[in-house]
Amino acid sequence: MKPLNLIALLLFLAGAVWALTRSDRSVREIQNAYYSAMSPFLKSGSKLEMQARAFLEETRHSKELEAELQATREQLGRLQLIESRFRALEYENVQLRHALDFKKATHFDVVAARVIRRQPTTWWRTVEIDAGSKRGIGTQLAVLSNEGLVGKIDRIDGAGERSSVLLLTDEKCQVAARVEGSPEVGILSGQRGGFDGDPMLRLRFLSANAAVRPGQRVFTTGRGGIFQPNVLLGTIESVEKGALDSEALVRPSVNFADLGAVFVVLSADS
Amino acid sequence: MIRYSIITILLLLAAFIVQQFIPAFTGMNHSRILLVQLVFLCCAVTVGQPTMLLLAFLGGFFWDAQCALGPHGGDPEVYTQQVENLRFGYSILLFGGMGFLMQGIQPLFKQGKWQFSAVLSGIAVLLYLSAEYAIINFVRGDFILNKPTVMQMVYSALLTMFFSPLIFWLLFRIAKACDHSINPEAGRRRRRTTH
Repeated sequence: MKPLNLIALLLFLAGAVWALTRSDRSVREIQNAYYSAMSPFLKSGSKLEMQARAFLEETRHSKELEAELQATREQLGRLQLIESRFRALEYENVQLRHALDFKKATHFDVVAARVIRRQPTTWWRTVEIDAGSKRGIGTQLAVLSNEGLVGKIDRIDGAGERSSVLLLTDEKCQVAARVEGSPEVGILSGQRGGFDGDPMLRLRFLSANAAVRPGQRVFTTGRGGIFQPNVLLGTIESVEKGALDSEALVRPSVNFADLGAVFVVLSADS
Repeated sequence: MIRYSIITILLLLAAFIVQQFIPAFTGMNHSRILLVQLVFLCCAVTVGQPTMLLLAFLGGFFWDAQCALGPHGGDPEVYTQQVENLRFGYSILLFGGMGFLMQGIQPLFKQGKWQFSAVLSGIAVLLYLSAEYAIINFVRGDFILNKPTVMQMVYSALLTMFFSPLIFWLLFRIAKACDHSINPEAGRRRRRTTH
């Protein structure tokens, strides 16, 4: 091997070792710097994309009508969320009145955002939304749609105008979940690998003789510090009983192929 | 030579920008054109080892900066079995491996047989995705491989490979503009036949 090639190889390996030993914090700083540098291109790119989409839409609706429709949709989704939240609160209130040991009322504030990019990486199930730290969004915040839980904020770009949402269908997005009408609780997550049609979720760590059946709905428990309680996750499709525990396949309540507007929960005390 | 090497670095960085706007093909198992990997592979066969390693480092580093997921978060007492992340920087080694693979057929490329390199770029992308998926399985446990995943990798490799002639054409143009020959033996042969 030529001396120059050997030196280059050694430098390459040293660089790789340096990168591999970065802490989570330094990785976040590197990502922030990377996305800050990318921001002008992404901004102009998504602007062009939005314009192209709007132009195509214009053949069906006038621009004013389209804007009005979009605003109405966002408002409707927001109100549906608030309504479902109030129902949960009403139920909670009745229970707490009996228990007389409730701590405080829940504050629930959301920011509406639009999905601007789907599936930007090969293996992770993520989408990008057009809201970031400038609108008060931070990492590890729950993201909902009017159908149920969408995922959580994984990363905010350096310019604070976009965020990446880790979808519920990703293996890494774990949610503490409970089955409606049963004492069963478990951890819900997506499945590894590609999917052909509808993605399914796995509800693990149910008890061995879990009295759950297809058709039962699955909600968040609110434990774990990320997701608020009583948010709809999906419906049980099938149950597999094991010797030590059981697993259930859950069909998500959200249609991930048709995600348009989402809501980031800014502050909600469970 | 130096001018050509600098331009290949700029081309790789430009590929990162363009990659942001290439969507996944949902009808083809969410497969995608991996432009960054393609540009790197095509450049790797046209440059020397030191430049290839520099491109591999930059490619892997920025690819991980683009794709790395954040920490799990949440209460570890509730989420007792958290899903592991891939370490930042693993792509640097994968890019390096792919680069060495491409340099293995550099003699053929220098003879002007760029078609072999084009086919190998598809194979290298398939190997890259397979290695990446194997690492995910190794780190997270449970080897899960289903048909949609295999199809996603195959379609991505094929789609990427179809664009390699375009990248090679671009590299030949850049080399010509820089007054640098990336396949000198083919040029010599051509001159001999014309005389």
